[in-house]
Formats: sequence, structure tokens, C-alpha cells
Amino acid sequence: MPIYLAKRFGLAVLVAFCVSILAFALLRLQGNAAGALAGEGASAEDLAIIVETYGLDRPLIVQYASWLGDVLRGDFGTSYFFKSPVSDLIFDKIGNTVILAIMSLTIALAISIPLGVLAAVFSGSWIDRLCSLVSLLGQALPSFFLALCLVMLFAIKWRMLPASGADSWRHFILPAATLGYYITPPFMRLVRAGMIDALSNDYVRTARAKGLPAHRVILKHALRNALVPVVGLVTVQLGLLIGGSVVIESIFALDGLGYLAYQAIGYRDFPVLQAVVLLLSVVYVVLTLLSDIVNAWLDPRLRVS
Amino acid sequence: MEPLLQVRDLKVDFKLRTNTLHAVRGMSFEVREGETLCIVGESGCGKSMTSLALMDLLPRAATRSVGAMRFGEVDLTDRRAVRRVRGNEMAMIFQEPMTALNPAFPIGDQMTEAYIHHTGATGSAARARAVEMLTEVGIASPEKRLGQYPHQLSGGLRQRVMIAMALMTSPKLLIADEPTTALDVTIQAQILRLLRDLQHRLGIAIVFITHDLGLVSRIADRIVVMYAGARVEEGSAAEIFGSPRHPYTQALIDCIPQPGKSERGAPLGTIPGVVPSLVGDVRGCAFRSRCPVAQPVCADAVPLRAEGGHLWACIHGAKKDETERAPA
Ligand SMILES: Nc1ncnc2c1ncn2[C@@H]1O[C@H](COP(=O)(O)OP(=O)(O)OP(=O)(O)O)[C@@H](O)[C@H]1O
Ligand code: SF4
Ligand SMILES: [Mg+2]
Repeated sequence: MPIYLAKRFGLAVLVAFCVSILAFALLRLQGNAAGALAGEGASAEDLAIIVETYGLDRPLIVQYASWLGDVLRGDFGTSYFFKSPVSDLIFDKIGNTVILAIMSLTIALAISIPLGVLAAVFSGSWIDRLCSLVSLLGQALPSFFLALCLVMLFAIKWRMLPASGADSWRHFILPAATLGYYITPPFMRLVRAGMIDALSNDYVRTARAKGLPAHRVILKHALRNALVPVVGLVTVQLGLLIGGSVVIESIFALDGLGYLAYQAIGYRDFPVLQAVVLLLSVVYVVLTLLSDIVNAWLDPRLRVS
Repeated sequence: MEPLLQVRDLKVDFKLRTNTLHAVRGMSFEVREGETLCIVGESGCGKSMTSLALMDLLPRAATRSVGAMRFGEVDLTDRRAVRRVRGNEMAMIFQEPMTALNPAFPIGDQMTEAYIHHTGATGSAARARAVEMLTEVGIASPEKRLGQYPHQLSGGLRQRVMIAMALMTSPKLLIADEPTTALDVTIQAQILRLLRDLQHRLGIAIVFITHDLGLVSRIADRIVVMYAGARVEEGSAAEIFGSPRHPYTQALIDCIPQPGKSERGAPLGTIPGVVPSLVGDVRGCAFRSRCPVAQPVCADAVPLRAEGGHLWACIHGAKKDETERAPA
């Protein structure tokens, strides 16, 4: 177990290192870095000052080392557009995004696991088709449409939940429900396929032969094994959610990282973009590491290899 | 004495797209308390489907029909009743010890869960019972094994664990579907010895299913020979090996490698010809196409002959004193 984790950890550090080089390259290797920093219509003098202050005349490796040093101290530079430190911007917004991502994911799992299990247990029957339909609807409905429906019902008609903002946990419910339902189908399909596979396994027959009640056979023996691939998908989706809930964040005026990245692209705000890319990659790496750990717990066979 | 297990006219069908595959075609047999009944037959003759049908564990695609099926007082055609005895008074072990245990849970958990479910025992009582059973099947340092996962055990050990697990609830009947087929020869011999031993000590009845008649001679009290989904001969071990009546049984016996007897380099015996398709109806004797002594009348219904407890379904073998029964 410790060796397995040490290997995974070493790999994670290596990947993070490579990503940092890419993030660095994003800005410096696009040809005219000083031009990009100065923006359009900058004078030659401005450019010279920029080259001077940012040390752009130094060898790339030296520039990278000093940039990495800054990043490791939490200094991502200053946003061109917002004129404030990038780290402050991100710190302000990442919390909202992470809360939204985790709540969405929880909702997605809460929908897809029961649906997937039901569909697998009754595979081929109308229950299976109904479950698949319910989950597919999540992807087929445009998320803005579902969002508007939810706002109309819960915020405007019944006045149960706020329609926009990020002031309390109640503000997150509608966006998280929208997003969670939207990402349900791949989870549902994976749970269903995993359950069908697990249910046809010899150990399930053994569990039934032992006389265990059906719910124990399904929810303990089969589901535990069917969840192994789901962990990997959770990782990917969580990464995607943290990086890409732009539409939902805009609709619900939920000021998070996705919205920030969206603005940064629009304004060609490279330091912000660079920081977001780096951050998301590191989030990915950390999530992958976590999923390896969870998988090792779910599937004891992985622990030795 | 009433037999412990009684099966009459068991049929298992698989509906195919245009036809029906009759995997088991009217099997009948009995198991008495404390005896070992071996069911022998070539691969695909319906041995597993027969045993799964008893436990209500058939694949979803299968349909079962049965004349009568009783286990002691319990009517095994009643699904609710089966659930009470399954894994409790009637236990089962399988061919593949590598896949029959759940890879995600420790041995101890898998051994105790059904015991707790059936007996309502506490966790610690169940673990004590598991330790006792592991010791019973000859596993050293049982406490340590309880915490281990299946992948940490060898095939032979896993099969011992399966046996120990099946014995947790002190069943009256153990159904063992080719429990040694996946194991190498020395381990196979150990497991056989263990089963025979347990039977003597605990007095359980065993239904031992195998395609290897050679194994059968070491453990069987009585033998049912199966061919193409039906019983073709049944008798005590002495009757089957001493005076086999069905040509198929004879052919199986001829296939058993005899140390010293067979010529050097001679190929291991196999029965020439192929097993008939189980799809659709079979008229007359199913063994006809491979039978060296077949007659034209074998295409008609074949009588089931009896000599005491020795039964066989063949036109041959009739003697003066024998009673003829209804055609099989
Ligand atoms: N799911 C299924 N669908 C269709 N036919 C099946 C299915 N399972 C088994 N069969 C058929 O039922 C017949 C009997 O199978 P069974 O597993 O009982 O044979 P067996 O005697 O146990 O053989 P083996 O020695 O290989 O285990 C086989 O001919 C097989 O083709
Ligand atoms: S009934 Fe005929 S074909 Fe069948 S085993 Fe006997 S002799 Fe052979
Ligand atoms: Mg079989």
C-alpha cells in the first residue's frame, strides 16, 4: 500500500511539474510576450519598460525558475483587466466554484446510482428504459432551459429558493441541481454497465447461494465492485466542473472561477488565464491521486500491484 | 426412510430465437441423509443447470419445470421456502474458486455475513464460528485469514474457504459443482479427501458433480450418470463400476486412465462422436449416434430398466428377474 501510494504521488508531482512548464509557455512562447503584456498600440518605450520589469531578456530557463518561485509563493502576478493580484481574484472565486462543483456532483450521484442500479437489475425491461430516459433527459435538455424552468418554479412561483447570487448555501441549490442533472447520464450509464457486469459475476451467484437477501446481494456485493470505474469519472467530472461551469455560473450570477476564466479569455487577461490553467491542472492531478487512493480502498487487488 | 432430497422430472429450458434448448430433460434422483451422490457426465450435459435449479439460482434466461422437488419437509418449487433453506440447510460450492469469492471484501466478512443473517448471531460469535470452520477445513492460522482478501490466497485455499463458508450454518446437504476441476492434481486430491472426511465427521450429504468418473470412485456412495440432459444410469458405486449396464457408462469407464494398464503413448480415451444438440426434441435414445451396440429400435422410446436400486435407460441389459418400468 505505501509503495503503491508513493508511486502514484511521484507520478502526480511529475505531471504537475510538466503542467507548470506548459502554463509558463502559454504566455512566454507565444512569440511577442512583451507585446501581449502591453496590449495593442503600445509604444516602443512601453515595450522596453515591460521587457525590463518582467526580465523578458533573460534566458527562458531563468525566467521559468523565477516565475515558478513566484507561483509557489502564491504570486501569480497582476491581472491586466481587474488591476488586482491574480491570487486575490482566484481566492475570491474558487470557493463558490468548488461548492457548486461538489454539490452538483453529489446531486448527480444521488440521481445516477439509484437509476443505474434499477436499470441494471431490471435490464431489458420497461424499468430499464424508463431509467435511461430520465437520465438522458438531463443531457438532452439544454441546461439554460432547465435552469430557467427551475428558477420559474422554485424562485418565482413558490419563492422557496433564491434565483441568483452566492450569499448562502441556498443560493447554490438551483444551479447545482441544474448542473448535477446535466452530468447525470454518463454516471448513470457507467453504474448500469458496471452493475450488469457485476451481477453476472460468480461472486454474486455465491452471495445468492449463501441465502443473502436480494438487497444485500445487489447493494453490497455487486454495487461495491460496480463503483470502481465511477470513481474515475467523478475525478474527471469534478475537474470539468471546476473549470467549466461558465454557463450556469453566468445564468445564476454565481461569481466563480468559470465566470472568471470566461472574462479573462474575453479581455486577453493572460496572467489570470495562466493562473486558472495551472490551478485547474493541479486540481486534476490532485483529484487523480485521490481517485487512486479511493480505488485502492474499493478494490483491494490494486493495493499490491 | 424418506430421502433428504427428492427430484422428479426436472426440466430446464432456454428459449432461443426460433427454438428451445432443453438443457435438462426430465432428471430424477434422490439423495439420502449423509450419503455422497455423484452426478457424472460430459461437459454441457446439464449438470450445473440441474444443481442451480435445486437452489433457484438458474440464469434469468432459463425456465424450469419440475414434477416434484423436495428437501426434507421443504417444497423446493416454492421460491419463498427455498430462500429459507438456501445457504442455511442446503449449501453450495462452485467450480471456480478464483472468482466465486468477492474480491472487494475480506474472507471473514464473507464467511460471517450469511451466518449472521440466518442465525442472528453476533459479529464476534460469527467470527468465532468462522475460525472454527477454517480450522475444520485444515487452514492454519485462521484468525489471520479472516482479515485477508481472496486475491491473497491460492486456488486451493480459496476452495477450502468456500467449503468452510458453506459449512458455517451446519447444512444437511452440500452441493459441490466440480469443486476440484480448476485445481491441480495434488490439490484436487486434498480437497476430495477433505470432503470425504467432513462427511464422515459431520454426517452431511453431498451432491458431487463432475465430468471425471475417475474422481467419483474415490468418494461416491451412489452415482447418477447423465447424458444430454437426462439420467441414463443410476446405481451404487459398486454397481456402476462393477457391472455398468449403459453403453455410455461403459464408455466413460473405458476412458479412465489406468496406471500401468494403458499402452505407453496411447492417447487418453475419449468417446468417439459428438454430443447431440440439445436444441429441439430428441426422439429415442440420445446416445444412439455414438453407441457401438445401437439397434433400430433405439430410435423409439427407450425403457428404464431396474435391478434393485440399479437403474439404466437402454434396450440392453435385460435379465429374467427384472422389472420393466415406464419408458424414460
Ligand atoms: N445462459 C444460457 N443460455 C443458453 N444456453 C445455456 C445457458 N447456460 C447453459 N446453457 C446450455 O445448457 C446446457 C447445460 O449446461 P450446464 O452448464 O448445465 O452443463 P454442465 O454439464 O455443467 O457442463 P460443464 O461440465 O461444462 O460445466 C449446455 O449445453 C449449454 O449450452
Ligand atoms: S438404447 Fe440403444 S442406442 Fe441407447 S445406449 Fe442402449 S443400445 Fe445404445
Ligand atoms: Mg458445469
